[in-house]
Amino acid sequence: MSYRKISISVSLVSTLLIMGYYLLNLIPMFQQGDLISERVFRLAAIVIIASIVLNIAGNILAHIVINIVHAIQTQSEKEVRMIEDERDKLIGLKGTQVSYIVFSLGVLASMLTFVFGQPGLVMFSLIIIFSLLAEIIGNLSQFYFDSQGS
Amino acid sequence: MQKHQVHNNIRKLRFNNGEMTQEQLAEKAGVTRQTIIAIEGGKYAPSLELAFKIALVFGVPLQDVFSYELEGDEK
Repeated sequence: MSYRKISISVSLVSTLLIMGYYLLNLIPMFQQGDLISERVFRLAAIVIIASIVLNIAGNILAHIVINIVHAIQTQSEKEVRMIEDERDKLIGLKGTQVSYIVFSLGVLASMLTFVFGQPGLVMFSLIIIFSLLAEIIGNLSQFYFDSQGS
Repeated sequence: MQKHQVHNNIRKLRFNNGEMTQEQLAEKAGVTRQTIIAIEGGKYAPSLELAFKIALVFGVPLQDVFSYELEGDEK
């Protein structure tokens, strides 16, 4: 497995977990009509910080595990060759472009809810949801581009 | 307009170079094995720099490794 694939997998798993956590906390607030700005902003802050921390920690952990497995399999102390070449960079750029498009459309849709009379907190929550969704779709598209060659 | 595609002889050249593995070629060219697989399978057209590097690994001119031909006109 290449360096990029590991990185994408970690990002995908951590984003899915964070999205799950966010929705599990946000949906009850909506259902109870209990949208308090302090709680919504605190939840958003937790999600943003957790996504950064989980991504970094996940990548470090994945590298350690892969090197241990590689060392056991090959019985050598030589580190696994993890480089990012031109194809990896191209796939990364295409994935970022997909994420950007999804996020832009999401922000537009979120703003429309505000225009049609929904509270500002709904718009804010939707922007956070779309940012996570954009990350997930961007990661999935990278897997797709990888299977297609680039 | 007729469609062209980049074809390559990497598989043949690897075989003629002491049955070099994709991993060995990747290491010498400074890319991942997945990139060599994608190039060999015609799924990815490498940059000019990488194309030269691959040719350099085999010690042959660029045109012996890559060719630009009509689609479905593979040698």
